[in-house]
Formats: sequence, C-alpha cells, structure tokens
Amino acid sequence: MFDDIADPDDDSVATMEGISKLCDHLGIDPLEDVKILVLLHKLQASSKPAQITREEWMNGCHNLGTDSINAFKALLPSLELGFMERAEFRDFFKFCFKFNLEGTHKTLDKELVVALVELTLNDRIAKDRLATFQEFLNITKDTSYNTITLDQWMSFLDFSLECPDLSQYDEEISAWPVLIDDYVDYSNGMKM
Amino acid sequence: MSNGSRSSIITFEEGWNEIRTNAIDRLEDILDNGLRETKGNMFGNKDYIKVYTLCYDMCTQRSPYNHSRELYQRHGETIEHYLTQNVLPSIRSKVPQGGTILLNELQFRWSNHQVMNKWMTKFFNYLDRFYVKHHSLPTLNQAGLKQFKERIYEEIKRDGTRAIIGLIDQEREGSMVDKTLIKKIVELYENIGMGNLDSYINDLETPLLDATREYYAKKREEWIVADSTPEYMVKAEKVLIDEKNRVHDYLNPASEGKLLRVVEEEILEKVEMILLEKEGSGCRVLLANDKSEDLQRMFRLYSRLENGLQPIASIVENFICDMGNEIVQQRQSRLDSGEKDNNDDPAFVKALLSLHDKYLGVIKTDFSGHSIFQKALKDAFVEFVNKNVGSYTNAEFMSTYCDRILKSGGEKLSESEVDENLEKVVQLFSYLTEKDLFADIYRNQLAKRLLNGRSASNDAEKVMISKLKMQCGTHFTSKMEGMLSDLAVGADQKGEFDEQMKQHDCKIDFSVQVLTTGFWPTYKSPSITIPDEMSQCMNVFKTWHDKRHQQRKLSWVFSLGNATVRATFGKKTYDLTVTTLQAIALNAMNDGKTKTYEELKEELNLEDNVLKPLMHSLCCGKYKVVLKSPASNKINSSDSFQANSKFTSNMRKIRIPMASLDPSHNAKKVEEDRNHAIEASIVRTMKARKTLKHQQLQAEVLSQLAFFKPNPRVIKKRIESLIDREYLERSAEDSQVYNYLA
Repeated sequence: MFDDIADPDDDSVATMEGISKLCDHLGIDPLEDVKILVLLHKLQASSKPAQITREEWMNGCHNLGTDSINAFKALLPSLELGFMERAEFRDFFKFCFKFNLEGTHKTLDKELVVALVELTLNDRIAKDRLATFQEFLNITKDTSYNTITLDQWMSFLDFSLECPDLSQYDEEISAWPVLIDDYVDYSNGMKM
Repeated sequence: MSNGSRSSIITFEEGWNEIRTNAIDRLEDILDNGLRETKGNMFGNKDYIKVYTLCYDMCTQRSPYNHSRELYQRHGETIEHYLTQNVLPSIRSKVPQGGTILLNELQFRWSNHQVMNKWMTKFFNYLDRFYVKHHSLPTLNQAGLKQFKERIYEEIKRDGTRAIIGLIDQEREGSMVDKTLIKKIVELYENIGMGNLDSYINDLETPLLDATREYYAKKREEWIVADSTPEYMVKAEKVLIDEKNRVHDYLNPASEGKLLRVVEEEILEKVEMILLEKEGSGCRVLLANDKSEDLQRMFRLYSRLENGLQPIASIVENFICDMGNEIVQQRQSRLDSGEKDNNDDPAFVKALLSLHDKYLGVIKTDFSGHSIFQKALKDAFVEFVNKNVGSYTNAEFMSTYCDRILKSGGEKLSESEVDENLEKVVQLFSYLTEKDLFADIYRNQLAKRLLNGRSASNDAEKVMISKLKMQCGTHFTSKMEGMLSDLAVGADQKGEFDEQMKQHDCKIDFSVQVLTTGFWPTYKSPSITIPDEMSQCMNVFKTWHDKRHQQRKLSWVFSLGNATVRATFGKKTYDLTVTTLQAIALNAMNDGKTKTYEELKEELNLEDNVLKPLMHSLCCGKYKVVLKSPASNKINSSDSFQANSKFTSNMRKIRIPMASLDPSHNAKKVEEDRNHAIEASIVRTMKARKTLKHQQLQAEVLSQLAFFKPNPRVIKKRIESLIDREYLERSAEDSQVYNYLA
C-alpha cells in the first residue's frame, strides 16, 4: 500500500501528493475533511511536517490493524472528532499544528490557522467563540499576529475549554498569552 | 499575775467594763467632739499601758478564763456599733446636700476611723500577736477596716462617687474645687480595697470614665459645629493637658492611661474626618496657607491615636499630588500656546525641585519627619513625576538640568551650590520609574561633556556619579565610572605619547583619547578621507599604541574629535575651535579654492547626512567662515563653496559649533536592554523556584527590576518568547503555572 503513495524521488516517505492520493482512494476530501489528519495522527506521522515515513506507516498500520484500503475505509467512521477524549484531542490538536508547519518554520500563517481551527474545533468549542476568534485574527492590524506560535495555538484551545465565560476574565492575573488578552478585548469590545 | 492591784482572775465582764470605760468610751468621746482639741497623744503612756496590760491578762489567763475569743469579738462589735450608731446616720444626713458637704463629712469620718482603728489595735494588740495568728483571722487592723468598708463605704460609695464626679465636672467647667478633699476621698477608695485597687476601679474609676465620656461627647458636639479646625484643636489640646494634670492632682496614676484614652476617643477620634475635611479650615486649607503651627498641633494630637496619622498623610499626599499635577499642567499649557518643545525645560525642573524642597521642609517641621508622611511625599511625587507631556521625557529634562550644572559655561555656581543642586536633582530622580532611560541620556550627555572638554569640574562629575551610585547601586553607574577612568588613563599616558610625537616631526599638534567600547555610547563614525598630515599623526599613535596593547583593536571615531584651526582671513588670524570633521572640510577649502558640493562630497567621501550639517555649520551659522552660493539657510547639492575672505570678528578665539550627528539617546537600545533584563529576571526566578504561578512570577520579576517598570503585557510577551525558546513551559496540570526547563 505504501508503495502506491510513496514519493517518486524518495520511496521512504509519502509527501502531500501521496497523501492526497490516499484520500482519493478513501473517498475523502483532504481540504474539507478532518479525518485524514486524524488518520495521520493515529498513524503517528510525527517525525516531520507534511509527510509520513514508511516506517511510521508500517508501524501505524500494524497498530491499527489496517492491511488494506478497505480496512481503512472501515476505520473512517471511528475517526470522527467527537469520539476523542479531551486528552487525546489535545494531542491531536498539537499534531495538527506541527504537521502543517512549512519546512523549518516554527509558526503557522494566520490564514492557515483560521482555516485549521475551522476544521478541527468545529463542534469541540462554542460556535461563537470559534467565529469571533477567526474574525479577530482576520481583522487585527497587529503584525505580530501574522504568524501564530504553537504556544498561542494550544493556549487558544485550553483557554476556550477552561474559560467559557469571558466576563470573568481578568487580564491582570492570567497567564494566557497576550494574543488571548487582545482577543478578549476585541470580543468584549464587540459586545459593548 | 503581774501587777499589784490584781491578784485574782478577771472575769470577762469585769475586764470588759474597765476597758469600756477607760479606753473605748474615752476614745469615742474624743472622736465625736473634735480631734483637733487634743494635742499630742490621745492617751498618755500610763493610761495606755493599763489597758494593754488588762487585755494581755485577760488573754493569758488559764482556761476557762482565757477571754481572747470574746475580746476579739467585742473588738469587732464595738467598732461596728460605733459606725452604725454614730457615723452612718451622720453621713446619711449629709447625702441630700451632696457635693463638698458630703465629702467633707466622709473625709472626717474616715479620718476618725483611722484613728479609732489605730487605737483599738493598740489596745487589743496582744490578740494580734497570738490569737489572730493562731486562728488565721484577719488582724485587728484589717477587721476594723472591714467594718468601715461594710458598714460605711458600701452604703455611701455611690453617693460619694456622684459627689466627686460632680466636683470634677465643675472643675472642668472652670470652677475652683477643693482638690485636697477629693484626693483624700480617693485615698479612701484606694485603701478600702485592702491590698488591691478593685474598689477604686469599680466604684470610682469606671463611673468616672463613663461620666467623662458623656461630658466630652457633649463638648465635642458643641465645639465641632461652632469652631474652625485650628480653634477646635487648641481646645482639644488644652483638655488633654487638663485631664492629665487632674490625674496627677488627685486620682490614682493607674487611671491616667484609661482617662486620656476616653478623652482622645471622644474629642479626637470620633471627629477626625470632620476636622480634617472642614471647609475653610481643614487640613488642605492649612497646608495651602502654610499654617505650620496648626499642622504641628494636628500632628501632636493625632499621633496619640493608633491610626490617627494615616488620614492626614493621605490628605497631604493628595495635596502635594495636586500641586505637582499643576506644574505638569503648566508645562502642557506652555506647549499648547505654541512654545517650542525642547529637550531642556529648566523652569519645569526648578518648579518640581522647589515643590519638593518646600514639602520636605513641611514634613520635617510640621510632621516631625514621620515616616508615614515621608511615604506620602514619595508616593505623591512618583505619581506626577512620571507624567511626560510633549515629545521629551521628564527623565531627559532632569538629565539636561544636570548637564547645565556640570558643563563649563553653564550656570555659575559655587562648589557647595553645585553639590546642593545635584543632591536635590538626585532626590527628584529617585521618583522616576524609567531610571534606565535617564541613565542612557545622562551617559550620552556625560560623554559629550567629557569628549568636548566641556566639563566644568571632574570632581563635580565624580560627585554626581557617586550620588547616583548611592541611590541605585554600582551596576547603575559602572559605565559612567568607566568613562571617567578612560579619561584619567588618557591623561596619564599623554605625556608618554607626546614624547613619541616629538620624535616624529609631525606638522600638527596631535593627541588621542582612547575610549573603551562598552563604557561609551555607540557613535556613528563616518568614513571621511583624512588629509595626509592627519593620517601621519594617526599612524604614529597606532604604532605606539599597538606596541603597548597588543590585544586591543583601535577604531577611529572621526565624528567625536576636536581641532583648533588657525585661519587667516585677510590680515587677521583667528583660532577656530571646531570638530575634526569641520577641520577637514576647512582644509579642503584652503587657499581660497572654490568647490562644488558634489566635488566636496567625492573628495571627502562623505554622505549627505553628514556633509550637509557639516557645511551648514560653516556657512549658515553665526560665524560664516565659508561662503556658499547661492546664499541661503539651507545646504543644497547644487551649492558651491569658497572660504569667506571678508570674514571678520572682534574675537580672536572662535568656537564654531556643529549639530550633533548622533541622537540624544538610543530609545531602541533602551527597549532591547529592558527586554533582556526582563528575560534574565524571569529565567533567574524560574531557575530558583522551578515551578511558579503566573501572578507570582510577575510579582517577583517586577520586584527585581529596579530601573523601570514594565507593563504586565510586556512581561507576558517575554514569557511567551522564553516558552518558544524552551526555557520554560506551561504546566500540563495547570494552565496558569509555568515550569522551568533545565
């Protein structure tokens, strides 16, 4: 199976092209469907962004018990995000960030972040929280937010889960990144 | 069986009869009819001995004729009888009249009782020695006193107390009262306790405290409405003195504290805020009108209360704050009305210094330099000293103010005036939050003074640096001290280098000042083409220097040097004090040559941002030694230049200043340094504590940063940066906690 998706120049890895091919086989749309990311996460494709090595694939398939495309297809329903426990989802969320990094960059462009949170956090956090956050990122003129760090990425998730009520938010004592402080200001400003 | 007239047993009735007649009746008679008539001892020795012996005999007879018990009983009964039959009715009869009359009677009877008790004890003395001890009974004296207490005191104490309080209130109202009488009655209360002050405290002191409270509550209500604050305080002070004297005059010393506390509560504590805030005469008004005496009184009075000074200090702080804000506002107004904003505002600094001086004095004189007021002064100043208006910071104004004092040709002051002024500026500086900014500006100005030889006194520079060091520590002033030491080293080595120069027949007098990088601000050094005469000298120095310091690398900073150029215009010669760059430009204009801007630019190899200000200083300043055409106030790249052959001046020595090419300070560097300092503090703290909540980390970091106070968000950004660089991580268990990553 791996040979089918392996990169023509280096058959020890499968890059986004090959992964895309896999999606075709499975009948899922890599841009709209989060399941491919879930799958890659479960296969533990964590060594480098945007790829999975042969070894990871082999080990992963072994662990999941998938020896054919059909086996993968059968697995698909269980890849719904709703099935994940909080801790596992957190790991997955981290994986999403890291997997989408470009080359040696340590941050993601905010446009990508806006798209990714849509993909991953839909149904995991309150809809208006998600929507206002995306709005905030799109509107903000602060150039330091043109790229988002892993810390900011993870903090947004933790923050959304821990602090559902923004009226209780106290910037003076909270450890959340300044991005969150700015987001809360924006969000409260809107409501006023 | 001791004396002649007795040879047989004395029966009780016999003996008692004799005692009754010879001793008791006589005693009672004397007491009733005025002791004063009796001079000397009431009973002669002979008579006394008779009675004593009789008693002795009656007590030493063999049983059943030992009458000790009956005698002891009769002793008590006698006194009891006398008190209830004679004394009590008499006292009771005086109750309706109360006051002095009652007290006098009581005093008379008490005095009598003491005499009676004394003699009764003396007569029956033998009982005390054996019978009383043997049966652990009260002594005769105690028994007698107990009778007075139970028969008289307990009956009359309420009336007595009322009478005393009545007199005291009269005295408070201004009447004269019989203090001695009161004192004697107080002694009665004291002694009647028989070893402790319980009777005094319960029966006299407590009611007196209540009455006092009531009395002064009333007075307070009257005064507070009618009197101004100073008037009220004068009254209050007098009252406290009076009450203290009262205790000394006739009360028990133990009452002093309690009595004064009651008075203080009623007339000071309960109306403190009303007094302080009274319109037209309250604390603020007193401050505004420099009412020193009233403020001193206020301080004295309210120092007595545990928390009495804090409200006053708060008002003082607000007042000083308002005055300071007004000074800031005045500066704002000047700018608003069109005054040019400049890095120098001596009027502003002087106003602040003056305000500080004034209220430092007020605190010393009126508030005894109490720390709570010193803190109020400090907090007030910190509040407004950090309010910057316009484009320049107050830190810069303070530094420039020092520059005026320290540079030659600045303010003309004596050595002690210099010291005094600097001392005061340093005090003002201590209130600045952004001390690191001050340091940066100060260092730049210091460097300028030192390098241009415009420091009035090296000692004064040292004095200032040591004051800053005392305020902020060695680290704060290490660079400044480094600058001074570079100059000292240079001075030392000058002699040696001058010898070298002599050996090399250079056409120019030349000296070099070596600066240690790191001590001095960083300077732009334009790469200018050096005339041969100059580069020859430079090479001599370099050779000499490299031999001595092989490890050190020299780099020339041409924008800092100074030169004296001997210029001849027509028949007159002048000594022009100029910068090195100006000297090189003048050299290029030598012999009346005409050069265009572009020619000069190429010849000298200078950029526009250096050449333009350079030529401006020679052509458009006060001393136009070079002419430009077309003539104007701005240098254009189309200009051409020629030495001004018609230049003339009355002075022989002329200084031609040039605009500085470097900024007054490096704001960007200050910010960078701050970020480093914050990060170093975060790492240091986390390394020691390993794991810490955000609030605690923030508090710890703020407490460590002495020279500036960052916004919490700035600290957060540094934390995020450190998380990114994996010095710290957020705790997995608690999102508000950080862990140190080794």
